[in-house]
Amino acid sequence: MTSVDANRRQRAAALRSATAVLRALFALCLSAACLVGHAQQLVIGRGSEPQSIDPHFTRAGPNQMTAMHVFDRLILTDENVRPIPGLAVSWEAEDELTWLIRLRAGVRFHDGRPFTADDVVYSLERAPRVPRSPASFAQSLSTLADIEVIDDLTLRLRTTQPSPQFIENIGTIYILSRAASEGAQSSDFNDPSVAVGTGPFRFVSWQPGDRLTLVRNDDYWGEISDFETVVMRFITTDAARVASLRSGSVDIIDLVSPADLPRLRSMSDINVFQVGSLRLVYLALNQREEMIRFTTADGRPLGENPLRDARVRRALSLLIDRRGLTDYILQGAGEPATQIVPAGVFGHAQSIPETRVDRDRAHALLAEAGYPDGFGVTVHGSGNRFVLDSEITQAIGQLLARGGIRVNRVEVRPYAAYTPKAAAGEYPIFLFSYGNTSGESSRGLSGLFHSYDAQRDLGTLNRSRYSNPAFDEVIDAALQTFDDTERERLLWRAAEIAFHEDTALIPLYFESAVWAARTGLEVLPRRDIRTLAMSVRIAR
Amino acid sequence: MIAYLIRRVLQSVGVLLAVSLVVFLGIYAIGNPAAILLPDDATGAELDAAIASLGLDRPLPLQYFTFLGNAIRGDLGTSFVFNTPSIELIFARLPATLELAITAMLFAVLLGIPLGLWAGLKPGSAFDETVVTGSILGFSMPNFWQGMMLIMIFAVGLGILPANGRGETGTILGIETSFATADGIRHLILPALNLALFKLALMIRLTRTGVREVIGLDYVKFARAKGLSEQRVLMVHVLKNILVPIVTIMGMEFGSLIAFATITETIFAWPGMGKLLIDSINNLDRPVVVAYVMVVTLMFVVINLLVDVAYSALDPRVRLGGNAP
Repeated sequence: MTSVDANRRQRAAALRSATAVLRALFALCLSAACLVGHAQQLVIGRGSEPQSIDPHFTRAGPNQMTAMHVFDRLILTDENVRPIPGLAVSWEAEDELTWLIRLRAGVRFHDGRPFTADDVVYSLERAPRVPRSPASFAQSLSTLADIEVIDDLTLRLRTTQPSPQFIENIGTIYILSRAASEGAQSSDFNDPSVAVGTGPFRFVSWQPGDRLTLVRNDDYWGEISDFETVVMRFITTDAARVASLRSGSVDIIDLVSPADLPRLRSMSDINVFQVGSLRLVYLALNQREEMIRFTTADGRPLGENPLRDARVRRALSLLIDRRGLTDYILQGAGEPATQIVPAGVFGHAQSIPETRVDRDRAHALLAEAGYPDGFGVTVHGSGNRFVLDSEITQAIGQLLARGGIRVNRVEVRPYAAYTPKAAAGEYPIFLFSYGNTSGESSRGLSGLFHSYDAQRDLGTLNRSRYSNPAFDEVIDAALQTFDDTERERLLWRAAEIAFHEDTALIPLYFESAVWAARTGLEVLPRRDIRTLAMSVRIAR
Repeated sequence: MIAYLIRRVLQSVGVLLAVSLVVFLGIYAIGNPAAILLPDDATGAELDAAIASLGLDRPLPLQYFTFLGNAIRGDLGTSFVFNTPSIELIFARLPATLELAITAMLFAVLLGIPLGLWAGLKPGSAFDETVVTGSILGFSMPNFWQGMMLIMIFAVGLGILPANGRGETGTILGIETSFATADGIRHLILPALNLALFKLALMIRLTRTGVREVIGLDYVKFARAKGLSEQRVLMVHVLKNILVPIVTIMGMEFGSLIAFATITETIFAWPGMGKLLIDSINNLDRPVVVAYVMVVTLMFVVINLLVDVAYSALDPRVRLGGNAP
């Protein structure tokens, strides 16, 4: 069957089951959806839902993967999160504080108005000022000093301080039409005459909790989609999403759970697409001096924090069977990790070897550090933040116990209750994840490993309070370096210090992003876990 | 009667106040929603900015009294997640939930009462045994499992009904509803059935027990002795007398269908209020959760009042607000 029409396939199924009445009812159906059904339609079963159609309201993932259909950005990213020209065709640093940006010519908004430099100015000014934004884009624009419009297609931007990442940062801002949306509130964007962008699809409607409808922008400057209409259905339960795919009511689903993977892989009318994502799942090792919730091997209070010794941290890392986690618990939907970003991403240091289980070496290191019998600890984890997080937490507990660590308890809490305590440093060993949103390692390295410095906004994700002046020096230098070769060399060095020399935390695996689609569709899996209609095409 | 109603309204206000305080404090105690709403890589400065923009940096008593002050003016707060007034979010989802609850209640009443009546009239027959055993299944199979089975059988296996979602809606008397289109009704059948199964079993049980109880009483024998038709004996003498408990339960159960269709709505991706509630709890979207609980409490108060009024209509011995205990 070449049609992408879910309704028609349902009808074929109905033939088999002799439900003449329902078929007759269906034939009578003359509503809009049925008529559209005869054109090329793609129905996506999504596990997450946007919070608003206003692309500036929040930079949370589900919102961005919706906005990317309707709105363009100055710089887009490909499936490997490498920057590619979007509405900006070229950019260059004239000096350390000045950037010259040339815009794409001949681009039109969905309402037919031409795209100009003024719309960029408008969008950059609006993005940080959206009222009540729970995850503002303000940070991306914090170093922007002023904007000079040279002509309709050329801009000069100045920054308050040298920032090599500036262009990637402002590249993430969605470009709106000033004429269509000036003065509009976030909720006004539910109106298609306000939600006007230059993207590959035009916004039609959104019924929260149910569906979102898009139609193709036939005047798009880039690649035109195979699909005339796209419907995103929001189905948050994993099993229900899979059932929708199998019954033919959706064409593709995202966030496939590992439990469903073996089954889906074995089905002849469904194809599975997967790629290692940029979300690192790691075990944080609390190195605060005041954290003394440890016991001796026979259960008495220990009175000190053994994790402050790098040899102990290294020993724990040697006890974790990463391949076991990814092969058995995740059913292959994960790739063992050695550092903050996977191979192929800017800043990945080839020099860091994969850590394999070596219990003898671990015991030797523990003995050397003064814990020949190990010690006792409680392992904490979140529930329902990422795929199988509570199962992984349990497995970590078992792996540590097998390696001779006394695991007093394994505790799992809902993420909402878990994250404040993790941030406050109340857990000794805890499972966490970090989703890289920029296609390189500097943001993650400085956030997770820089000595905690609230004033300079550095190390604010460093819940373990790891601190090494040598690391700080290298990462500080990297953040100031414009030359890509030199910057990457510094990032390699920073990764070596944090992961190889200090074992500041235990990297476990990169979660895989998994999609399943009915045969006849091809999906280009994206490492940023964005589910986009642009990534789907009809197999030829 | 009037005094009784006034007393009930005053009681309700007290209940609403207590509920709002408990929910407000409870969600506040769980944690900070800003940490959930931000992406993983958010910095400390971004977290602070989010907390300030949602007004979470103000002291708790101040937040609560601001909420109360606004609530008196009919404003139950603005969702942290959607930046839309909570009450608007809830009422936008209400039609979807109502049509699901009404359909489920119709299934339960229109099937449950006749089945229970018939089973009660012929105790021990094969029909009675089948209905009773069936109702045990309805009671004991977990709701979510029933839902998954319905999807596997009717949507994946037979392919005759859609797996989930709300279908096309149309407009009847200015209300957007699934009842207006064939596609909408097709989408409604499975979730409504899932929601109805437990209530159906309950209706069968209640009716059957009631019939068994009154059928041997003197007044029924007397009515038959008078030569009244069997239909009149059943419909007037038997049914009317067993309806009081059934109406009570129907009222309560209808309330719980509307308020707590959460599991069914989640499994069937039904864009109703229950799904909104569970999503809001997961996101710690306090304004929506508080508003939801307030609306639901109010609904139960009103339903209970209506049930009490219905009693007095069905049973002349019941006097509202009188001196009777």
